[in-house]
Amino acid sequence: MEKFEMKVTLKCFSFVRYALGQKELVLELEVGTTTETLEKIIREMAQRKLDGIILRTAVNQSYTLQSIELKDGDEVVFIPPVQGG
Amino acid sequence: MVIVEIINSPIISFPSDNDRQQDGAELVFNGRVRDTENGREIVALEYEQYKGMAKVELLQLAENTVNKFPINDLFCKHRVGKVDVGDTSLHVVIWSKHRKEGLNAMTWFISELKKRVPIWKWAIMKDGTRMPSECTH
Repeated sequence: MEKFEMKVTLKCFSFVRYALGQKELVLELEVGTTTETLEKIIREMAQRKLDGIILRTAVNQSYTLQSIELKDGDEVVFIPPVQGG
Repeated sequence: MVIVEIINSPIISFPSDNDRQQDGAELVFNGRVRDTENGREIVALEYEQYKGMAKVELLQLAENTVNKFPINDLFCKHRVGKVDVGDTSLHVVIWSKHRKEGLNAMTWFISELKKRVPIWKWAIMKDGTRMPSECTH
């Protein structure tokens, strides 16, 4: 059975970049993938380096308060605790 | 009125304003880079932003602050890139009729900035290595 796929861009900052060793990744995901599922994938890719680190999610430059279904072309950032100032 | 800037060069302070005859308080906050990170000596912090969203969040926060507190104006500059120990990374000026509301607004603005605005810092050690900062103060 054919799986429908889409591409999303993951931008990596701070601990996420440190854990994944990449500034940016383009990921091919099944249609219907949610931010919650993608976070699980990213945490697995990080091989426990993100354990204990709370990540908020931004899609297309806005915080998402709950898990949402991603769309082809979305830009996703899992935001570790911010540290401005 | 609010003004926010995220800049990649040394911060030049907003000028003091002697023409504000209705504002009894002009509060200035300068956040500077300390020489230690979790007890280890550092030479600099490197600030990175999520470009676009950081400016939008900072602007929204400044507007929220002006709406939440009885203050007149809030100007803010946040530096990104490498900031040496002792240099200013954050500069905020608030003008208000009385001191108390200005002080409260300043405290809230900076606290929220550290929760909402997607800016992070990397500690640069004496040997040149870079680590994500663990400091959230």
